[in-house]
Amino acid sequence: MQALLVFLIVAALSLLASSRSLLDPARFPALAQLAASGLLFLIFGVLLGPSGLGVLTARNLDSLRPLIALGLGTGGVLLGLNLEPRLLRLLPRPVYAAALAHAGTAFLFVALPLLVPLMLSSGLRPLMAVSAAALLGAAASLSSGHFAVLGYRNGRLERARGLGVALLTMMDDAVGLGVLALGLVLGATGNAAQGLGLLGLALLLGVACGALLAFLTRSLKDPAEQTTVTLGMVALVGGAAAYLRLSALLAGVACGATLALMGGRTVERVARALARVERPTYLVLVFMVGCSIHARDLSAWALLPAFVGLRFLGKVLGGRVAQRLTQGVLDLPPRFGYALISQGGLALCLVAEYVLLVPGSMSQRVLDVVAVGAVVNEMLAHGAFRQVLAAEPPPPPTQAEPPAGDAGVAA
Amino acid sequence: MKGSVFRLLLLMALLAAITQAQAVRADAGTPVLLAAGALLLCGLFAGKVAKGMGLPRLTGYILVGVAVGPYALGFIPGAGVKGLELVKGLAVSLIALVAGTELHLGLIRRVGARVALLCAAVCGVTFAVCFGATFALKPVLPFLAPMTVPQALAVSALLSTVVVSFSPTVTIAIVQETSARGPFTEFLMALVIIGDLFVMVAFGLAAGITRATFGNGLDLPALVGGVGWELFGSVGVGCLLAVAMLLYMRGVNRELPLFLVGLSFAAAEGGARLHLSPLLVSLAAGALIANLDEREGRRIHQAINQAGLPVFALFFAAAGAGLKLDALVTVGPAALLLVVLRGLAIWAACRRFAPADDPRLKRYLWMGLISQAGVTFGLAALVSRTFPSFGPQVEVLIVAMITAHELVGPVLTRRALMGSGEIRAEEAGGGA
Repeated sequence: MQALLVFLIVAALSLLASSRSLLDPARFPALAQLAASGLLFLIFGVLLGPSGLGVLTARNLDSLRPLIALGLGTGGVLLGLNLEPRLLRLLPRPVYAAALAHAGTAFLFVALPLLVPLMLSSGLRPLMAVSAAALLGAAASLSSGHFAVLGYRNGRLERARGLGVALLTMMDDAVGLGVLALGLVLGATGNAAQGLGLLGLALLLGVACGALLAFLTRSLKDPAEQTTVTLGMVALVGGAAAYLRLSALLAGVACGATLALMGGRTVERVARALARVERPTYLVLVFMVGCSIHARDLSAWALLPAFVGLRFLGKVLGGRVAQRLTQGVLDLPPRFGYALISQGGLALCLVAEYVLLVPGSMSQRVLDVVAVGAVVNEMLAHGAFRQVLAAEPPPPPTQAEPPAGDAGVAA
Repeated sequence: MKGSVFRLLLLMALLAAITQAQAVRADAGTPVLLAAGALLLCGLFAGKVAKGMGLPRLTGYILVGVAVGPYALGFIPGAGVKGLELVKGLAVSLIALVAGTELHLGLIRRVGARVALLCAAVCGVTFAVCFGATFALKPVLPFLAPMTVPQALAVSALLSTVVVSFSPTVTIAIVQETSARGPFTEFLMALVIIGDLFVMVAFGLAAGITRATFGNGLDLPALVGGVGWELFGSVGVGCLLAVAMLLYMRGVNRELPLFLVGLSFAAAEGGARLHLSPLLVSLAAGALIANLDEREGRRIHQAINQAGLPVFALFFAAAGAGLKLDALVTVGPAALLLVVLRGLAIWAACRRFAPADDPRLKRYLWMGLISQAGVTFGLAALVSRTFPSFGPQVEVLIVAMITAHELVGPVLTRRALMGSGEIRAEEAGGGA
């Protein structure tokens, strides 16, 4: 029944989110923006979940955990598939330095100051507080390049600059995943050596599944069989990780990366098969994260302004440093830091994984702060990106007309 | 085929490693997604191996499910298999939707009356034989022995009603797999579908009578109302579903396979909650679309062929994993006797009553009627829930029979279609 309920809710919300008249960017720009990024589903999740109207109870959410594991596994495999070793080797060193600068600055700006209240507010082990602060920092370090992509697609941002932003925002995913791994090592068992063993097991599982997927799909010609094997392996890697209480996201990344290394021509076919289920899986995951938020936790609300404010400062400052580091290598827009405010879906994946593997009030608080923070950051990003566009020189007259669907995003 | 065997063995090795790794973790997480992924992958390659051996793919799905399931190698925990109940409804719904698109008015006019007559004869003979045998086994069957004669008669009737049921799911899946087309195939498909309708009505009546013999009284209006709602309510909801599909295909028309999977899932789950038959709901929807707009009916057929393979592989592999092999040991002899008698009854009824104008019906039709799967499982579970005093033991007996029928049924159905000469291709575009 719960699965049917979630399915019907997500289907109804999808219809709502795709309604052009209801979510006209000219009339409701903020709402249209949230719908486009999928974060509208998070708000609906809060409203319909145990903290809101209670349509879905905490017990319902517990039985729907396989859906979260599937979402995390799928997200991980897609992230791993994007790790193209050839492309990564071609990137000059300043690009890595710049990515590390803007992600690292935001990480430090959030993790260090918030460590103090986390330690004071909880009577838990210091390792746990460090792990929670690191996760907050990791979520803060992530940025989404979708404003930049839409900006250059609709002609408001020069293409090279838009691509530069997109590249640097994609690279900070590695920082986020690295910190998640660290957070799990420190927090999952309370014993760092044991945590390290579990992390190794997750990666091993992912590598084994990735290698097997590459081998299984090599001989398949029928598209239906290709899709079946791809979906089966994504379910297997996420499911095995969930069963063994390992990180489905990190196992998925290892699986995707192994496939990217070994898969050859099949990589594209696997990516195409996954692309079909990417959006629905993501929306279900975001909805479930929304349902999991404890909206009545006052401590989380108290941490939220600090998280958003410190992240904003960290991104603006980190952006400046990154701009300096990439001078002559990447053409980044002026006020680059303002283009990094949007947070994206990976932040939600990180905290969903963290709360699954490190249960307790501390991890729940991290999820609450990051999930609500993602919505706030998305709204802030809308205004912040205008600053970037305002500083841009006017586009040359030959550029294409903006597509109707994107018009409101950068408006 | 060697490649598929090797791939299957690699997959099983990975599953074995995961099972070993689980042993070092004190608290296991949810196994549902693991079961889904493992059964999907193993099912697909086992299907290829089965095909290479000249068997239906479906047999491969079921056998590998049995092998990796909780009652054999134990790579997949029982809780994981139980969590896949959702897939069963979805698969039945999708398969019925495809079958519905084949039900054109012309076909129903052509063979409807003859099929209904033969179905009544086959079901009647099989019911009579199984009923007699079950009642005769009263002294040796532990759940029947302590009952009074009227109670034992009622329970024998209830059990025999369930035992009569066929498997439209298996039949349609094999027809899909082999791309069989022709009068024999049409006759067989129509017969298993109508047979299921007969069984649904008979089950409602038998359950009402059984309840009455155990002291709850015979509530005739509720009995008729329940059966009527299941039949006519299902057709009504199916018609609404057809309208929704046509509106989508004409208005939105994007990602049709995904839409159909979603809608079938909603129909199956929602139908079960409303005490409707998911099979009949989807069948009615498919039939209405095919008769209103043939082109859209064909598009649905193609879309399900695209999306159906993972669903069918998972459904049949999960069905195999759920087969309780230990039940065979406890009630094996009685179950085996009933399996043989049911087979003989179906064979004799087909030989005696099948239309004489097509000799293939007399020779091969019985083979297509042996399978049992989802509907029988559902009815057995219903008996268990409705009559907690003896129902669970009846369920064990029926599940033991299903185990035998699942293993031989698909092979016989394929042989029936081969014997009829209506198989068009060894490899269909999707399906099972």
